[in-house]
Amino acid sequence: MIENIKQNYLNHPKGLMSWLLTLDHKRIGLMYLVSGILFFFLGGLLALVMRMELAAPGNDFISNDTYNNVYTLHGAIMIFLFIIPAIPGALGNILLPLMVGAKDVAFPRLNLASFYIYSFGALFAMYTIINGGVDTGWTFYTPYSTQSTSNVVPMTLGIFIIGFSSILTGLNFIATVHKMRIPGLTWYKLPLFVWALYGTSLVQITATPVLAITMVLLMLERFLGIGIFDPALGGDPVLYQHFFWFYSHPAVYIMILPAFGIISEIIPVHSRKKIWGYKFIAYSTLSIAFIGFLVWGHHMFTSGQSVFSQIVFSFITYFVGIPTGVKIFSWILTMYKGQVSFTPPMLYALSFLFLFTIGGLTGIFLGAVALDIHLHDTYFVVAHFHYVMQGGTIVAFLGGLHHWWPKSFGVMYNQTIAKICAFGVFLGFNGTFFPQFLLGLRGMPRRYATYSEEFVELHSYSTFWSGILGISIFIAIMNLFWSFIKKNKVDPGSNPWGGMTLEWTHTSSPPHPHNFEEEPVLEHGPYDYDKVIVEKTYK
Amino acid sequence: MSEHHITPLRTYLIIAASLLFLSGVTVWVSYVDLGPLNIVVAMLVATIKASLVAFFFMHLLWDDKKNLTMFLMSLMFFGIFVTITLLDTEFRGDLDLNPEVKDPINKRAAFYDTLPLTDTHGHPVDEHSDNHHEDKDHH
Amino acid sequence: MSNHNPDAPKHLKHYFANVDQQYETSKFAMWAFILTEVLTFAGLFVAYIVFRSWYPDMFVDAHKLLDVNKGLMNTIVLITSSLTMALAIWAIQKNNRKLSLIMLIATFVFAFCFLGIKFLEYSHKFEVGQLPGEYYSYMGPEVVHLNNPHIFFSIYFIMTGLHGLHVAIGMGLIAWLIYATYKGNLSSEYYTPMEMIGIFWHLVDLIWIYLFPLFYLIG
Repeated sequence: MIENIKQNYLNHPKGLMSWLLTLDHKRIGLMYLVSGILFFFLGGLLALVMRMELAAPGNDFISNDTYNNVYTLHGAIMIFLFIIPAIPGALGNILLPLMVGAKDVAFPRLNLASFYIYSFGALFAMYTIINGGVDTGWTFYTPYSTQSTSNVVPMTLGIFIIGFSSILTGLNFIATVHKMRIPGLTWYKLPLFVWALYGTSLVQITATPVLAITMVLLMLERFLGIGIFDPALGGDPVLYQHFFWFYSHPAVYIMILPAFGIISEIIPVHSRKKIWGYKFIAYSTLSIAFIGFLVWGHHMFTSGQSVFSQIVFSFITYFVGIPTGVKIFSWILTMYKGQVSFTPPMLYALSFLFLFTIGGLTGIFLGAVALDIHLHDTYFVVAHFHYVMQGGTIVAFLGGLHHWWPKSFGVMYNQTIAKICAFGVFLGFNGTFFPQFLLGLRGMPRRYATYSEEFVELHSYSTFWSGILGISIFIAIMNLFWSFIKKNKVDPGSNPWGGMTLEWTHTSSPPHPHNFEEEPVLEHGPYDYDKVIVEKTYK
Repeated sequence: MSEHHITPLRTYLIIAASLLFLSGVTVWVSYVDLGPLNIVVAMLVATIKASLVAFFFMHLLWDDKKNLTMFLMSLMFFGIFVTITLLDTEFRGDLDLNPEVKDPINKRAAFYDTLPLTDTHGHPVDEHSDNHHEDKDHH
Repeated sequence: MSNHNPDAPKHLKHYFANVDQQYETSKFAMWAFILTEVLTFAGLFVAYIVFRSWYPDMFVDAHKLLDVNKGLMNTIVLITSSLTMALAIWAIQKNNRKLSLIMLIATFVFAFCFLGIKFLEYSHKFEVGQLPGEYYSYMGPEVVHLNNPHIFFSIYFIMTGLHGLHVAIGMGLIAWLIYATYKGNLSSEYYTPMEMIGIFWHLVDLIWIYLFPLFYLIG
């Protein structure tokens, strides 16, 4: 396909075994990308099935029991098989060593092991789907999860195994960032995507072990009836929720921090302007990572935990929004008086600013205990987390793919189709999820397969626009992969957007197998558009 | 390879002896009833032992400070987990005026009612009376 | 993939600039891994603390059913194995391969003793019915007045069980070290795996330092 570009990591070394046993972080990143996108499509299909069922009240499309399985699998696949592993795994793996000037990550064999452990865990999830699903919700709350006859154990086992992959990737990235930067590349000269991956990795290694032990305890509860979560045996189901959310709240920061990093890369490059507030963005990443560990109880306001703890959780939750707000202002100030080009990556970044802000603000609404009592387990919460996870992370991920596609693969995609799809995603997303805020405020509960007549209009809008959203995402991604078939190659030395970080200035497109012909010498900072002129080849 | 710090043999032996001594101390102290201080003293001794292992056997005293930072961070997050969870479990039912709701943990699992009494070897004993044992702590 | 520099040692990977960077990176990554282990056990310690606060008297009385002598013996065995592990590294740093090998074997033997003593403890509990959760059947005179003693034993088995699993994994790693040292793959020039596995082994000792008083000596 791209053979006539000189030796790069895609065509050298050759052969199936050289891919299956590769130690090259770029190849491993590509494998994560392909698996991730496949699981994304699978999770998306499940979402569309839900929207079909919810298009009208009454069980026309699928049964109630099937619906329970569908939303559980949708959540578990999207979170555990796509967003958490694949976004650091794909873009992080391809880019991190390039951005710090290293030839590979600190432990390449561990990196390959991470990928295979992820694949092995994913097999259990696939088995769950074939064997009749699991119906507890992705949160596996006790006591239902200890009693349900659905495939709780295979799914939790799969998640347990994937957790190890997450931890190993985190360890690898932390070691790489700390120890493998080229001379002169101090912390404050790092690209902000590296800071983002660093923060993400710290959260991964700290939070994921608690998920692991929670899944083990859940399985032991099912097999041995140990009783620590079962009130009939003297245990406490709320304790399960503490264990689960101690991981799962920081997990949402695992999901969003890489996205913040991508936006921090796209905006200065496509505005040809130095990032405003570099240190603010860097430190806010660490703040979010830390404060994120203190707020998990805001998922449990109606669980029966003590009111004292509710007050504490709610109070601290308000603080976690502050560093994020700092980032949004920094990005906007970066664009101010810049030369903004409305390239596909930039369109996604602008969508992100709008959609994520709505998602983030509605999270603050939910942080108020008095409001949350009414909004918990309604569609308001569903809309909130889709605005941050899809309007935020997925949109940023699409932007990142469009931004780094020519670098990673040496081909350029059709710009017109890409821009149309970016608009389609923006419109489709708002059309699907904004009505859900209204549904939630009016009392529509989540995880219900049917509803009363008063909600029909909003649900039908949501279903219609979900079709537009799905088609736009699908075509956008197909458009990217189509660039391979069309062989729209870029010059190996090209820098279409005029980026100034090492992956743009010192490697070919696609990169050499060992990244750099010789160790790069750092000449300027990552966003020094005020000091250096960098040519961009895309017009 | 540049010079790695090599801990002297004497140091290792002294630390090991201290650990064994402290183990003895903690067992001896457990036979003295200090009331609520029991757990405090036990944890204090354990922490001293743990510090000896971490700083000397695990070499943290001489290592790059990042390693010590990593270890202390793990303890900090453990502390966060425990403390905030206890804010719930210790104050459960705090706003409830009904005292039964205040102390909601089931004090006795149902299966105990059907378990036969046993001797110290776990063999069921034949008992014709003493059923009131089960009712004593039952709310 | 070999390093471009023909004078570079065999064990230096091509993506590291020098052996020092490789050694420091491996150690640092090992400590990051220790962080993950601490947090895994943290969940279980939280469960212990929470249930002890809910059933304080039950914990104090149920713990008397544990054998303090075996617990103390295990403590001594594990501390000694920590010493021999540290001495194995000390010996290899002095390039005394033979002594290092002896120390590693000693560590392995002590680890095996630990598991052996644990096995004795566990089998006694199985016999009398002091088992986790719904399998609990011991209703001897010490426990009839207690509330839900099965919870104590559930937490006991899970925590000591997970710890024991780590001892077993450690034994496997030490066995590998014995093989590598015997074959001459490790020396004062390159002993990073021994150091990393040593750190893991000391962590296993660290956790037991807390488990011992919390289960065997409270009250």
